[in-house]
Amino acid sequence: MARTGQVKKVGAAVAGVLTLSVIAGGVFGEGTSPAAPAAPMPPVVAPAPLSPECQGGSTDIVTESPLPHVAAALAKRRTVRILAIGNSAVGRRHGGYTKQIERVLKQVVKGANVVIINRGVSGELAANAALRIKNEVAMTSPDLVIWQVGTDDAFAFVPLDEVRETVESTIRWLKEHNVDVVLAGLQYVDRVAQDDNYYRMRMLLRDVAAKENVMIIRRYEAMQFIAAAQEAGGGFGPDEFERTEAGYNCLAQYLASAITVGAFGKGMSGRPLRGKGQPPAPPPQGP
Amino acid sequence: MPREPNAIDFWRGIALITIFINHVPGIYYARFTHANYSFSDSADLFVFLAGWSLRYVVGSPGRPQQPTGYLVLRLGGRAIELYAAQILITMIAIAMLAATASILDNPLLLEWHNAAAVFYDPILTHIGLATLTHHLGYFDILPLYVVLMAMAPVFAVVDRYAPNWVLPISLAIYLVTLSVPVPMPTWPVEGQWFFNPLAWQLVFVLGFVMAREDGAGGFVRRHIVALRWLSLPIVAASAYLVWHRMWPDPTLMPRPRLLFIVDKTYVTPLRLLQFLAVVALFSATYPYIKRWALRLVEFGSMLGRNSLVVFCVGSLLSLAGQITRFVYRGDIVVDTIVVISGIAIMAFVAWLPEWREQVRLKRSARPSPAS
Repeated sequence: MARTGQVKKVGAAVAGVLTLSVIAGGVFGEGTSPAAPAAPMPPVVAPAPLSPECQGGSTDIVTESPLPHVAAALAKRRTVRILAIGNSAVGRRHGGYTKQIERVLKQVVKGANVVIINRGVSGELAANAALRIKNEVAMTSPDLVIWQVGTDDAFAFVPLDEVRETVESTIRWLKEHNVDVVLAGLQYVDRVAQDDNYYRMRMLLRDVAAKENVMIIRRYEAMQFIAAAQEAGGGFGPDEFERTEAGYNCLAQYLASAITVGAFGKGMSGRPLRGKGQPPAPPPQGP
Repeated sequence: MPREPNAIDFWRGIALITIFINHVPGIYYARFTHANYSFSDSADLFVFLAGWSLRYVVGSPGRPQQPTGYLVLRLGGRAIELYAAQILITMIAIAMLAATASILDNPLLLEWHNAAAVFYDPILTHIGLATLTHHLGYFDILPLYVVLMAMAPVFAVVDRYAPNWVLPISLAIYLVTLSVPVPMPTWPVEGQWFFNPLAWQLVFVLGFVMAREDGAGGFVRRHIVALRWLSLPIVAASAYLVWHRMWPDPTLMPRPRLLFIVDKTYVTPLRLLQFLAVVALFSATYPYIKRWALRLVEFGSMLGRNSLVVFCVGSLLSLAGQITRFVYRGDIVVDTIVVISGIAIMAFVAWLPEWREQVRLKRSARPSPAS
């Protein structure tokens, strides 16, 4: 594969959860249909695969931690309710990244019912989002909150201590209320790569995620990888603007992957859905 | 000649200034606006005063100033004028974001304020912009105002023929909207209007009915002293709760929850009650402000008299302020420049049409000796 060659050129190693899905690359290419199971076995849970441009750099793109309430909802065959808070959920394809998450999850977790409740308010600072999240949880009873946070606060130069306090206390509140959390970290663009405030915000979110043991999607690293691959001559898009678009597509895939890994663990045996005694998932077939 | 300075124009001017400041998130001076001490903020005041101003157009029940048909057309025309204003400022805002993103070579700015859909999903989003189902962040009050003004002919007609039914009808729509609840969806980006018009129409109608000399407005006027005493603890308690971030846990509230939580999108009863208390209490200060700071009253009233143009320019200035803060790494010096220059420009655009009108009147008066 030509793209695999580019990956090697920039010397990036595909690691962690992403490894699971390398072979399944291409599944998410526009216009390709998902790989059908090779054998007529009962449907099992497989990790949400990633398309080639999303098979990131040398670090884990998704930090792992469990999503017990999503897992419980899936085990009980209850509808998984996901509340998306943060920047507008857009994308060029198929109605935005949250639609993609929904679609990927339904493909990967057979029989799953997923409802995504989009409550993004663009330009909103974390402090206001925190208040709204609580109200939305009271109104919509989600199992999982996906929170894109940090960019607007970094742009507005909100003191980092305030942001830390807001994000930590909100995560703790969500945990107390039996809601899982995935943070979507900051994006990478060349212009802000050297910005110290942006860098500190990125580190802050990573710290908070580690301290509170919640998943964070390291979009920055993922997009940095895309940028590096682009500069190495292959190119996934003509310019940085395209890269942002690719970043959103990847975000959907990372989130879907994070949710399946968080709910089922790396083993992906499918037990939460099918009970004990089911055979483990067959290795996904490559193209 | 422009209207004499008055309380409604003055408070409207104050609302316009605070909306301008609050729409520059992170700015130092936002901490001095009442949004930091109150469930409600200047958006409630702006909508309430818009409803109050509607009374001047409609006239008192039983004393119609103009035929009903003319009134309906006039209000409809105003709704179209507001719609045009929203399209204009949205287009300029999109261009500002695009220009900044291009100059700084920073595509993140294209995603600021819900603009991403305009650039990444332009086909559907342009339909959404024209049909007011896609709003940029902080450019979401005018769409509400357009819908309220489109509803205004209905309220005006009911007010003319069954004046005591206006408030009950509005309250019923509000209660159904919150109890069900009835969201106002956005499109193509999935979500909700930041201001649900079916809920916020009650704030508008409250302004409209409170402006009456009789009915609900008459009741309030007769009992204003008692109402102010009742309002004092409400305003004080909410200030304490908001300042100390002691918001009650919304998941502990009974259902339907929107009737018991504090929420801006649905302007929930607690917020609304607190807002009315703020109005009752602070309306008492106007005579003193007028006595001790007449220039301030004149200045605020000038902004309030020209509220649409000031609001539109203020919205764009807020965005310009955000971009400036982003580029120059907002600190107190930048923030001070943003606020002072912003208010100065808002004052200029309010002064300009009044000055032109005065020049026109002088010119039309001059040839009279020859005639």
